[in-house]
Amino acid sequence: MTGPTPLALKVVPSRSNEDRRAVLRELYVKYGGSVRERCRYLLKDASRAEDAMHDVFARVIVHGDSFREEASPLTWLMKIATHHCLNQLRSEGAAWKKWFARDEAARSEGHGGAEAMETRDLVRKLLARVDAETQAAAIHYHVDGMTLEEVAAVLGRSVPTVRKRLEHFAELGGEELSVR
Amino acid sequence: MSAHESSWTLRRLHAGELPTQEAHRVREHAEACEACGATLRSFVDAQAAFEAEVPFEGFEAGVERARARQAAREPAARAQWARPLMAVAASVLVLVLARPLLESGGRADPVPPPGTGNRIKGGAGAELRIGGGVDPQRVANTDAPEALQPGERVRLGYTADAYRFVAALSVDAQGEVTPLYPESGDSLAVEPGAGQHWLPESVEFTGAGTERVVLVLTDAPVSMDALSDTARKAFTAAGRDVTRMAPLDVPGAQTQWILLKP
Repeated sequence: MTGPTPLALKVVPSRSNEDRRAVLRELYVKYGGSVRERCRYLLKDASRAEDAMHDVFARVIVHGDSFREEASPLTWLMKIATHHCLNQLRSEGAAWKKWFARDEAARSEGHGGAEAMETRDLVRKLLARVDAETQAAAIHYHVDGMTLEEVAAVLGRSVPTVRKRLEHFAELGGEELSVR
Repeated sequence: MSAHESSWTLRRLHAGELPTQEAHRVREHAEACEACGATLRSFVDAQAAFEAEVPFEGFEAGVERARARQAAREPAARAQWARPLMAVAASVLVLVLARPLLESGGRADPVPPPGTGNRIKGGAGAELRIGGGVDPQRVANTDAPEALQPGERVRLGYTADAYRFVAALSVDAQGEVTPLYPESGDSLAVEPGAGQHWLPESVEFTGAGTERVVLVLTDAPVSMDALSDTARKAFTAAGRDVTRMAPLDVPGAQTQWILLKP
């Protein structure tokens, strides 16, 4: 016989399994719909959106401590989800064109009537023409309906900086995207 | 002031995040305002649709898979900076232990090559052996994180040389400390006789993520509570990053391994 003798098994359970399940259930009930909606809005593919949503919540589990310290978990989650999906699109490089092509076929998962739907669609169509920070600012402002101050806080920028970026974005889309 | 609440405010209300007073005010407004009420209802409907289409069990499984994928990607990214850090830890160990040997003119063992058991004082050493999975048994490195495959278990061995007591614990990525040998009380008296001895049973670490295993050899018994406290302090001092923990502040010799749970 080679190697160590057969060993009795001593299991060290994952200390946080039950805690994690409870946390996940709370996240699921409170934020699942919102995060999935954000992922679908940006990725426009149900399957990819679901994977992205799982990635976002996995990050919450991994970074549980910092998440618990957030005053607004919803803000944190929407920021992470937006960032994650935009990164995914960006990493596809040339796929921006494909992304546009899908735009016509996909209907947004938005709310707020036809006008809001149109704004969301318009924002999405223009995203590929601006830098990453402006993309995030435009989504949080026009799609999430955050105030300038809230967008500035999410992005860690000053209000004038965010306003400037959104005004530049509005130049591409016209009156509908004006900054108030 | 806008006649309507922003959709963000309504979404925060739906998530239960607004302070009580504001929540009350916004809810009252949404009940009276057709547009805001519709927006709020749309959030409720979206969540209901989500729950109907994605049952919690499926959601949970998906998140766990994503977490495993992220953990699998993490070692490659971390290994680049984890290596020098581990080397620092090892050199501290060598300095602390080499001095008495030099002063007494004793024999110093050669620095062990990476990938072998860790010899830590004269003939003292420690070894973490991984087995029980599909792969052949192997000895864990002390200078780089060691990935565990599903089902693999760990067994700890030591060569006590002049040390008289042995203890082992583990720290996970959240800083949870688990006393392994013994689970409570004071550290164990080493087995009599020269050569390597194995601590009883094998250990399986469930869950995912990083786990640091520490084996300590001492001249005097150490309380596991005290040893656990020391580990928690080391975890905090490392910025709550289990891969960056320094050696525990206890007299004696110690060996540390970082395991990446599947």
